[in-house]
Amino acid sequence: MNRTLPEMLQCSDMTVLQRQRARLKWQEEQFQQHQQQQQQQSYFSELDGVFSTQAGHVQGFQQGGLMSGATAAGGSDSVLSDMVMTRQLKPDPGLETAWPELGKVGMGSMGFSPCGYGIGQSFDINHASCLPSVAVAAAASKAVEVKEKMNSAVGRESFKKRKVEKLQNSKVVAEDDSKRIKANEEEGESKITGPNTNKSSNKKKETSGDTSKENSKVSDVQKPDYIHVRARRGQATDSHSLAERVRREKISERMKYLQDLVPGCNKITGKAGMLDEIINYVQSLQRQVEFLSMKLATVNPRLDFNIDNLYAKEVFPSCTTNFPTVGNMPPELANHPPYVHFNPIQQVVSGCGVEMGINSSDMALRRTISAPVSIPDASFLDTSCFTGMQQIQPSATWDVELQSLYNVAFTGSIEASGLKMEM
Amino acid sequence: MRPHSSLKQEFLKEWIKGLQRCSFPKKSILERKKAIKLSADIAMASARNGTTCWSRALISSAAKDGSDNNHLVKQILGPESDRPAVENKAPARQASVCKKILKRSCRIRRRGRRKCGAAAAPSSIAKHLVKKRRQILRSLIPGGEFMNEICLIEETLDYITSLRVQVDVMRSLATASVRGTE
Repeated sequence: MNRTLPEMLQCSDMTVLQRQRARLKWQEEQFQQHQQQQQQQSYFSELDGVFSTQAGHVQGFQQGGLMSGATAAGGSDSVLSDMVMTRQLKPDPGLETAWPELGKVGMGSMGFSPCGYGIGQSFDINHASCLPSVAVAAAASKAVEVKEKMNSAVGRESFKKRKVEKLQNSKVVAEDDSKRIKANEEEGESKITGPNTNKSSNKKKETSGDTSKENSKVSDVQKPDYIHVRARRGQATDSHSLAERVRREKISERMKYLQDLVPGCNKITGKAGMLDEIINYVQSLQRQVEFLSMKLATVNPRLDFNIDNLYAKEVFPSCTTNFPTVGNMPPELANHPPYVHFNPIQQVVSGCGVEMGINSSDMALRRTISAPVSIPDASFLDTSCFTGMQQIQPSATWDVELQSLYNVAFTGSIEASGLKMEM
Repeated sequence: MRPHSSLKQEFLKEWIKGLQRCSFPKKSILERKKAIKLSADIAMASARNGTTCWSRALISSAAKDGSDNNHLVKQILGPESDRPAVENKAPARQASVCKKILKRSCRIRRRGRRKCGAAAAPSSIAKHLVKKRRQILRSLIPGGEFMNEICLIEETLDYITSLRVQVDVMRSLATASVRGTE
């Protein structure tokens, strides 16, 4: 029966209600089994009982309602803990001491784990699923701090329960899941939900392996914020799926940055589509680089890149686009030696870097020159990187020659535009 | 592109230096183009000062012994302190080993996944698509095969910004040169 139920649950042609009932029956069986086990397992059955009462109310509800009930229960720690405390049908003295702690730690996870189940999975949220997850989470949290045996017990039991859980992944919880995940995103370890994220529960898993995992994860549970990870169907192992889940969350975080960077990605929500856009963008950029390098190769047969003319003209085209009249002047002016030593103009150039921050004196100087010109200094910035050049100190690792050339480019352009406008 | 202007200036600085240092073959257009592109790539990568994986991978792959543009690279990098970036060949070797391990584990995982049944679930299909695209992205980013997915996305971010800078600078340079020759 332990196996048949999961298989039964796996067949999707069963209605939700049928599945719930089947799960209930299975849970009861499990419950019976638990009775003979340690206190911790009876604790779980307690939770089961707690949830059963809830289930009685929610059976007629839709999954959303069920979920909300479960989540509501999970959300209010105190409420649930009260319920748990009061519903000690089989009070285990060992458990009672554990319960307060569990209440603190586990309740959060209790509310969470039912929610966490299963993005994109079958819709049945079930108190049974809540129970194992809760129990597992609670136990996991406990183990590290309080009892190791609890951990092992949880591990042992959780696997059976996990079978149920896994099959009961519900989409309803997805939002809560995402909420928790966001809340806990900083936490690197998602292992806390290892027990909950169990594809492997379908297969017979080594309890020892899982308990050890739980142990490692338990420590994470102690912190108020931890990452709950819910594995999806078909993943290989717990650790793998968990790690993947954490990775996925980190990836989605970074994908958001990419969305801002890549144009046209704002409307695309799926990962595959966004990756597509990113790939296209990177490919287009690379192709542009190729094309431009080819163009440069053709344009400059000598590849010497005559810097004087080059910089002058590189800067000036930005001017010429705006001031066609000025276009003729700059090349001549650029090569004028006097401008090389025209330091004040250099200051002006620095003033042109709007985004670089403009000194007040430079501003004044610039205004006199650029006022009639209304140079969109942005044009400088857009088309060339020289706007930042003025900040290069002469003492930097620059060749003095290069630097003077840059200055020439700037000064020439400014002078040219200024002169032209004054004429 | 405001935050990129410093990057642009850095890139241009390095690039012009590299171009100047290159003894251009002046033979064919393709060689020239290769030299230009190479110096641009190296400039772009060195502008990162080895902080990013792709920059290191780019430089190390360019400086790989036995590659035909090795001499160019040496020239471009010159006697400067770009050696740290170039001397990442050992990591590259390790990375190739890691890559093999990764591939092996991926193969195993794929086999395991198949055992779970040919899931016609849309999630698995979507996963498959995403995986395919990730592979493509890995091939695009230099050194991408050695990264895990989180690093891949970060490197992609950085790489895209650097590419943008490169394209802008090259474009302005090209237009300036074109105008110069007119």
